[in-house]
Amino acid sequence: MPSIKRIARRVVSAVLAAAMLCTGVVAYADEPYTGYNYDWWGDPVPSQNGYVVDKVISGLDIGCGQLTNPADLYFDDNEKLYIADSGYTGNYDTRDQKGRIVITDKDMNLITTVEYLDFSDKQEWLKEEEARFERGELTEERFQKEINVYFNNPTGVFVDDDNVYVADSENERVVQFTVDTDKSGNGCGKVVEVFTRPDATYYDAGTTFRPEKVLVDAAKNVYVCITTITRGAVVFSREGEFNGYYGANRVEKTGEVILNAFWKLIMTTEQIKRMKRSVPVELSNFDIDDDNFVYTVTKNKNSDTDVLKKMNSAGTNIFINLGYNEYSFGDPLIKYYRGTTYSSQICDVDVGPNGEINLLDLQTGRVFQYDDECTLMFIFGGSGDQKGTFTTVNAIESIDTNVYVLDSRKSTITIFKRTEFGSIVHEAMSLFNAGKYNEAMEPWNEVLRRDSNYWMAYIGLGNAYLNAKDYEAAMDNFYFQSRSGYSDAFKSWRMNFIRENFTLFAVIIIAIFVAIYVISSIRGKARLKKRAAADKILREQQKKEEG
Amino acid sequence: MRFDLDLPAWKWPFYIMRHPFEGYEDLRWKKAYNMKVAMIIVALFFVVSVCDQLLTGFLHNYSMTKVFNIVPVIIQSILLFVTWVVGNWALCTLFNGEGTMRNICVNTAYALVPYIIGRIINIILSNCLTRDEATFLTFVNIITVGYTALLLISGMKTVHQYNFWQTIVSMLFTIVAMVIIIILAVLLVSLFQQVYLFVYAIYTELLYRNPSLSSSALILIMVGVVVAVIAIVCVAYTLYEKAQIKKEQKKLR
Repeated sequence: MPSIKRIARRVVSAVLAAAMLCTGVVAYADEPYTGYNYDWWGDPVPSQNGYVVDKVISGLDIGCGQLTNPADLYFDDNEKLYIADSGYTGNYDTRDQKGRIVITDKDMNLITTVEYLDFSDKQEWLKEEEARFERGELTEERFQKEINVYFNNPTGVFVDDDNVYVADSENERVVQFTVDTDKSGNGCGKVVEVFTRPDATYYDAGTTFRPEKVLVDAAKNVYVCITTITRGAVVFSREGEFNGYYGANRVEKTGEVILNAFWKLIMTTEQIKRMKRSVPVELSNFDIDDDNFVYTVTKNKNSDTDVLKKMNSAGTNIFINLGYNEYSFGDPLIKYYRGTTYSSQICDVDVGPNGEINLLDLQTGRVFQYDDECTLMFIFGGSGDQKGTFTTVNAIESIDTNVYVLDSRKSTITIFKRTEFGSIVHEAMSLFNAGKYNEAMEPWNEVLRRDSNYWMAYIGLGNAYLNAKDYEAAMDNFYFQSRSGYSDAFKSWRMNFIRENFTLFAVIIIAIFVAIYVISSIRGKARLKKRAAADKILREQQKKEEG
Repeated sequence: MRFDLDLPAWKWPFYIMRHPFEGYEDLRWKKAYNMKVAMIIVALFFVVSVCDQLLTGFLHNYSMTKVFNIVPVIIQSILLFVTWVVGNWALCTLFNGEGTMRNICVNTAYALVPYIIGRIINIILSNCLTRDEATFLTFVNIITVGYTALLLISGMKTVHQYNFWQTIVSMLFTIVAMVIIIILAVLLVSLFQQVYLFVYAIYTELLYRNPSLSSSALILIMVGVVVAVIAIVCVAYTLYEKAQIKKEQKKLR
């Protein structure tokens, strides 16, 4: 007879073995990057991922053949995605025919591709240009480039209603066209307007005209971003006239610049002319939001002024650091690793539907998402060869809750989708920015439950408590999270404290005054007594001497 | 000058604070320099520096209290004091200063009293004031630091019996001397670190090559070797000296 102990042991081991077999191995795909955020001290802390990879799409998945060096993405109002496939050489024969525009819908199904242009509506303009060429006002090379029916390295694309604007960089022009289909059913662009190198005298004669990116504002002005020009974006009116420059960066106040300013005070004009000029860094990319604010970024490594600017139509920057470092973009920490310096190089900006700003970092392949007040929300992506990491990022676009990132080296488009955590943060953030602090409390609490490192949640909760006049709770939440919030909460708390304990304070103050009076009078009397005694002794001594 | 001063030692710093110019003269006349009180003040200076980082209210605390490190605080308080005293003494003995190290030390310590009081006031105030009212803290700071500087000038002037401009120049050069002292100290520390690393490398090397050797025995052996080398050098030098003396004696004969 086996003992009960043995039976029990067998049963337990059998159950455990069965359990082991049934569990199996759970394979789960983790993201190839770790989400992180920055705490109040400016140190990176791990955080939940706000965005994870949904899918990675290549040209073959779209159904238009392999993409080659795609350079830009744009979502129009009808949720159509335009891809500037700048290196496409498909069935072209010569070297000055390169690139196409691929148009897909939101789910990356091919709608059409635009491979060549149709100048049939621009006959008058063609004739005019030809006349100019014959008069010798245009060089042959330039003339050929202007009337080229193919693209040549189109690096920027923008859509305004039905009009597609393409920055055709090697052809030194920006073409505006509407998408049309020809007899054989292929897509072609019916040219509406061509913006070429301005002939105005104040367009610097030495600079070339190689449009990299393009955008159009509500008044149909065309802004062209050219990286060789440091004076800002080149602006054309809708008729194609050169209107000047827009939104130049400031010169960073480095030691050299300040020293040069000092030398200029003492040098003669001749000497100043020969000096190296300090010029601001160029714009690298831009975007425009629904309220007609233009966002520009610069990817210059050596400058951290005006990395991101939000400008109104007059070119005035709203995200300007007025003596404080309120705004910083990208990774604030510069990292040295194996002899190379890694610092953020923001190469593209995108403004989402709720005003959130996505910045794309060329150096690390990361996307930094900010809300419309420039508070950092999420960091995702990275460099590498896995899904969700990049080699050379080029462009970023967002629609609904998805973020699309274009990698030109891999020639793929990576679609990030928002996680549940991301949605909660976004909900809380939009409520918070609308001033609905109390409604935002619930999502903020949920955020903290999932990620207690999330800095902004404390600010949100603190403001909610401050609004509800629960100053102590507000102070708890603001403590080592926000100085200004804590200051406000503390001010009210102090006021309340003094009011509640007013009698105590009054008694203490009166007691102090009385004590001071009493002590000083006692000491004064003692001093008088002492002096009188000393005088007495002195007098007696004098008497003795006299006597 | 008052000749009827008969204060206990701990009252002197406060008397000096009330009489910034006359006080030090009286201190000198009465020869009431007291090292114990001075050391207590320096200790307080250190304690207040620590409290300044840890107890200042969140709204006015701009130090990195996420990770508190006491070494920089020691350097900023005690080491600063010591280098000042040493630097000033080294400089002023060369330029007709009459102060001894002890007197300089006491005078400098007494001059720190207003600064310490100001810090304490600031720590208390910083917990009661909002961010807009930070001006009060700045005000207290400027007043007390200025007062300390005034006392320091007066103290140095008295202890060395200089005139005003001599004092100022000597103080400026003392700062230069402090910088030199600190540079030399850093150099020395790094040099000793190198020596330590060298010895440590030998130690590990020997330990790896002789697995049977226990580490304590190895330390004993290494100390023994060092002592032996020193002993041999000493003996050799003595022998050499004796030989030389003999030679001299021979010559004299």
